[in-house]
Amino acid sequence: MSTTLSTQGREGAKARSHEELCASAPSRLGVESSPPANTLFRQWTGPLTADLVRAPGEFGLGQVPARLKPDATTTMVCGFCSTGCGLNVHLKDGQAVNLSATSDYPVNLGMACPKGWEALTPLAAPDRATTPLLRNPATGKLEPTDWDHAMQVFTLKFKAIMDQHGPESVAFLSTGQICTEEMAFLGALWKFGMGALHCDSNTRQCMATSAVAYKQSFGFDAPPFTYADFEESDVLVFVGANPCVAHPIMWQRVLRNRRNPEIIVLDPRATETALAATQHLPLAPKSDLALLYGVAHLLIQNGWVDKEFLAAHTNGFAEFAEFVREFTPDAVAAQSGLTVGQIYRLAESVKPGKRVSFWWTMGVNQGHESTRTAQAVINLALLGGHIGKPGTGANSITGQCNAMGSRLFANVTSLLGGHDFANPEHRKKIATTLNIPESVIPMKPSLAYDQILQGVADGKIKGLWVIATNPSHSWIGKGRDGYGDTAFDTLLAKLDFLVVQDMYHTTDTALRADLVLPAAGWGEKEGTLINSERRIGLVKKVSRAPGEALADFHIFRLIAHYWGCGAMFTEWTSPEAVFQILKRCSAGQPCDITGIEDYRMLDREGGVQWPLSKEQYSVFSNQCSVGESAPERPSSLKTEHCLLNTSSRSERRLFADGQFFTPDRKAKFLFDLPREAADKPCEEFPFILLTGRGTSAQWHTLTRTGKSDILRQLAPSELLLELNPDDARRLRLRAGDTARVASRRGELTARVHVTATVRPGQVYLPMHDAATNRLTFPAFDPHSRQPSYKFCAVSVHRTDKETRR
Amino acid sequence: MRPLHQAAPWDGANPGARSLVDALLDEQRQLTAVEAFARAHERHEITEPHYRKLLPASAPRPGEQYAFEVDLDKCSGCQACVTACHSLNGLDDGEAWREVGTLFGEATMPCETGGNRVVPLQQTVTTACHHCVEPGCLEGCPVLAYDKDPLTGIVRHLDDQCIGCSYCILKCPYDVPKYSEARGIVRKCDLCHGRLAAGEAPACVQACPNEAIRISVVCVTDVVSTFRSASVEAGVKVGRCESVTASSSLSDSLTFSPAPVWLPDSPSPRITLPTTRYVSKKPAADLRAADHSLPKPQHPHWPLILMLVLTQAGIGGLLASRFVGTKSLPLELVSLAFLFAGLTASVFHLGQPLKAWRVWLGWRTSWLSREAMALNAFAGAATVAVAARWLPPLTNYYLLITLSLAAAALGAVFAQAMVYADTHRAFWSLRHTAPRFFGCVLLLGPALALALQPTAPIALALLLATLLKLGCELAVLKHADSDSDRWTQLRRTAALQTDALRPVFSVRLLAALVGGVFIPFTIATGTASSALAMSAFAVCLLGELAERYLFFTSVAPDKMPV
Repeated sequence: MSTTLSTQGREGAKARSHEELCASAPSRLGVESSPPANTLFRQWTGPLTADLVRAPGEFGLGQVPARLKPDATTTMVCGFCSTGCGLNVHLKDGQAVNLSATSDYPVNLGMACPKGWEALTPLAAPDRATTPLLRNPATGKLEPTDWDHAMQVFTLKFKAIMDQHGPESVAFLSTGQICTEEMAFLGALWKFGMGALHCDSNTRQCMATSAVAYKQSFGFDAPPFTYADFEESDVLVFVGANPCVAHPIMWQRVLRNRRNPEIIVLDPRATETALAATQHLPLAPKSDLALLYGVAHLLIQNGWVDKEFLAAHTNGFAEFAEFVREFTPDAVAAQSGLTVGQIYRLAESVKPGKRVSFWWTMGVNQGHESTRTAQAVINLALLGGHIGKPGTGANSITGQCNAMGSRLFANVTSLLGGHDFANPEHRKKIATTLNIPESVIPMKPSLAYDQILQGVADGKIKGLWVIATNPSHSWIGKGRDGYGDTAFDTLLAKLDFLVVQDMYHTTDTALRADLVLPAAGWGEKEGTLINSERRIGLVKKVSRAPGEALADFHIFRLIAHYWGCGAMFTEWTSPEAVFQILKRCSAGQPCDITGIEDYRMLDREGGVQWPLSKEQYSVFSNQCSVGESAPERPSSLKTEHCLLNTSSRSERRLFADGQFFTPDRKAKFLFDLPREAADKPCEEFPFILLTGRGTSAQWHTLTRTGKSDILRQLAPSELLLELNPDDARRLRLRAGDTARVASRRGELTARVHVTATVRPGQVYLPMHDAATNRLTFPAFDPHSRQPSYKFCAVSVHRTDKETRR
Repeated sequence: MRPLHQAAPWDGANPGARSLVDALLDEQRQLTAVEAFARAHERHEITEPHYRKLLPASAPRPGEQYAFEVDLDKCSGCQACVTACHSLNGLDDGEAWREVGTLFGEATMPCETGGNRVVPLQQTVTTACHHCVEPGCLEGCPVLAYDKDPLTGIVRHLDDQCIGCSYCILKCPYDVPKYSEARGIVRKCDLCHGRLAAGEAPACVQACPNEAIRISVVCVTDVVSTFRSASVEAGVKVGRCESVTASSSLSDSLTFSPAPVWLPDSPSPRITLPTTRYVSKKPAADLRAADHSLPKPQHPHWPLILMLVLTQAGIGGLLASRFVGTKSLPLELVSLAFLFAGLTASVFHLGQPLKAWRVWLGWRTSWLSREAMALNAFAGAATVAVAARWLPPLTNYYLLITLSLAAAALGAVFAQAMVYADTHRAFWSLRHTAPRFFGCVLLLGPALALALQPTAPIALALLLATLLKLGCELAVLKHADSDSDRWTQLRRTAALQTDALRPVFSVRLLAALVGGVFIPFTIATGTASSALAMSAFAVCLLGELAERYLFFTSVAPDKMPV
């Protein structure tokens, strides 16, 4: 190489700019000479220059802004999405001053998306709730009060409502954004301590479908994959998923795949991911179920199935094969708007012989028949035997940072630890584990989110407690006729008592509350989050909560005390104490985590995937003694402790043995005939409205990401309606015009963004504007009760102003 | 170390001692991460960086410099680079030196069933400072606050030298330097020079999850020949990146097939010779920014509007004073007042006015330096010219003084026009700027003279100047109507003037017609009232201010995609 280097000019430059990259880089690239001395005419240095000086940050950080140089660092898991990235928090006197992505965390390998990079900024927002706020009936305004008074009002009001209308007259709506220990405390307090029943969380809006689909098909809510599967696949099929925008760090793992993979995207829109794929199938909205059955039809017809796997590890294949006979390529092509060739190519791509993995997220989960759609994906994986092996799986990518914690430990739809409320043995086990009377554990299931709100509309639910979620922004079909004739804006006014527990007193929902409880946020408390690949990660206290804001955990402790059921929770003194309780609850379950010692072990290992039972732990411990080198992991991922530090242990998948969690250990084929979506386009409302994420810099209802100047800059400043050029021409709308978008339930105005990434007859709106859900249609999957955010009929018109032009 | 299991020190059985609320509030205020998880801060070693292969092997040699290289096929638009730049460089709220934009388009692809089908295209583009071979910012800076490092080619901004004139923002085709209101200076990307020197990657390179950004070493003459060769046209260009084959030890191949030499729908690289290399294996396509047909009014720069119009009024008045005979003193004094008022107004444009005395330093390349010098020279000459009537030795040189005054005026106004022409924006080219600036002198000079001496010849001069200037100004509107899909800079300007800026445009037109045509015509045809003449000047001045407002707000430079 040195010979090529000796040539100057064009040829030399070519060689140098690329060929040398593979040579080992020297430690320094040029000399950073000290700047020339200031002269009368030229000031090279001074106070303004000093503001930007960078200095070695130490702690393996490289250079950092000199004025933010840390005196310690610590790694914690990000609190936005379910990817669960490790963030290296830079600390000064114990307080977070900056952060960067952790390079030795097995999830993100030194990377983060904009939300992660800005995770600390929303903590410092001026509209943080700093004291409890109580609405003064005289003035109608929220006024500061103290915790003692707030707690007395809370208990008085809820007890009064429950005394008068029974325990089923109150409900809580919680979140996938708080720690597992907090969710468990809330669920236990509500059902066992306070004797209430109805509760749900916003995970209903994003993950309920996956949970139900897995539970029915595999016998347990068990996403089987590890992120390493992104790198190990030959074929990746993304169904209703746009990881480029929604999960950028998962897309990073896809791009690290060195097997030259086929990347297939099923999405009505030409999303960023679709455009980066090798096959994009722009199927008609909500034709996904028929299409997936059609692919199954082709696989079975051509014998592209793993017969041994089907026979040994599945139930219902014969019935399924019979069922999909009618989903012929021609019929499915007509329904989905795809060509027979496209469908055939998709089927051929996922036949056995290669490592095929299927990945779905909200495009599947938020549908009117979403559970069967998710199971149609699972069925395809079962047909090819694409499960339990590297680079395979029917994999649900979760939404929120702790949706997975909620699914197992929130005590909402399943009893603590993925148990069944209806199962007497499970109730007994949990009662014994928690040392509580079995009688306090309800047998009845709770109402789902939409049923709770319907209960509010019907006057049956009188008291509502909203924790770290914002339904006034995010709930579906908020326009007129959403609930009978009730629009969401007036729905909450029907309540006798609305409590909102949140970091901010300014969320759309908090503004309507009777009582606001100020909560500490991510980074201001301890606890664990469980990510999409079942990895339990740690949240640490690196920032002081403002004013009298308290961790949700502390608030639940207070409520238990004031309610008078504190005795039931004497052991629930700290998040880590509750973690120990949850370990005991998980014993013997598929999600057994009894092998995790404590928080320090989670910290040491870069998070631990469930399951890790005591038995697995001792096997791993025996296999390697402390100090042994770790051959399977790159040196950059070295950890001091070697328990899990080989990739085979730190990145584990389920079902390698083909044993599922059903009673007969076999996976089930589940299917149903597709049904048409209810809110169909017509002459008056000719367009189909699709909704979803806007940019990687926005999170849900923007209560946090909206607080960061830089994140706000990375997102459009106004609501953009994506419209196909053909439709734009027909409607005489140009880019930048204002359009009125209306559904049968409500309307909004949006700036027109003309792009061929949406197909004619379809429009797209991001979900981050509260107005979007005035339009959506409240349809729900019958199994998961998940709302169908991605299909409703709308009209698009020029506004009066544009008409004049 | 306090074990985490331990609860807040509160004894429930003895509630008199301490309330649970107080205990929990106390506990909430303790920060425990360092205490409980001591591991991390015991480790000081730098782990082997993941970005090693994204850096060149050695520093540039003579004739070479560092450059960003962006693999467009890997950029997924996640914008992590922007936030990492913000965080790892400790920038102000909302400040970042990198931006991500998106280009949209359609392509026709052969269909499997025969025929063609149209498929949508979308390309996200990450951009930062291009550390140009001929940096517009550096050449335009009047105080030498930019330095192109001779060894690395990094274009650095000297924050403490900056006077906050913002001219570099106009000079940079890529809108890279950003003005900080709070600090009164601009700041920009420095390619994390200190990190590079220490063998570390710049923040954006470190943070890109897809390894789309790398640092390479480019040959300067290469950049020149690529962008200045005849085949490279402004706008969309299809060309061939150098075919470069990496050695096999690099995991991903770096062989690039035909790719855009530069980005579509973005400023021409010929102006400043950007060094960033955008590479892609995808075929070149006709992509547009989302706001391609959506021009937005630009910043009006009020101090500059005032400075230009008032100095030009002063120059015009002083020149006119040489032609109106012996009773010219009031006109001279009023004109001087306008001139100095204009010079004063310019100071309000600066973020660091106390450092403005260095404004001449950049005279070798900066038209702003030259403008400042020429204007001050004119102001000196004008003062001498006015003072001459009291200085007997000079009274004999009336013609000479007039000629030097005219020469100084010509130089000053030409320099003023060149400040804008040198930004390479179509609407600010000399062709559009010179008639406006010289026209303003020729219009407000007579208007000022008329206000003090309402005579028919002066009125006619004003009328003539107005008609000529208006004609030149309206010429740009011919670009407005076009059926073409493609928007040129001048089409955007015309669209802005007739649409978003229509009210100002109407004021401008009305003012010219009333103050520059109707009233002078009335005066020339007999009704010479002093009040009318004064009002003519006032209306003309208003018209010129509106014209200059349009000059600044309706300029529509090509820009990087948003």
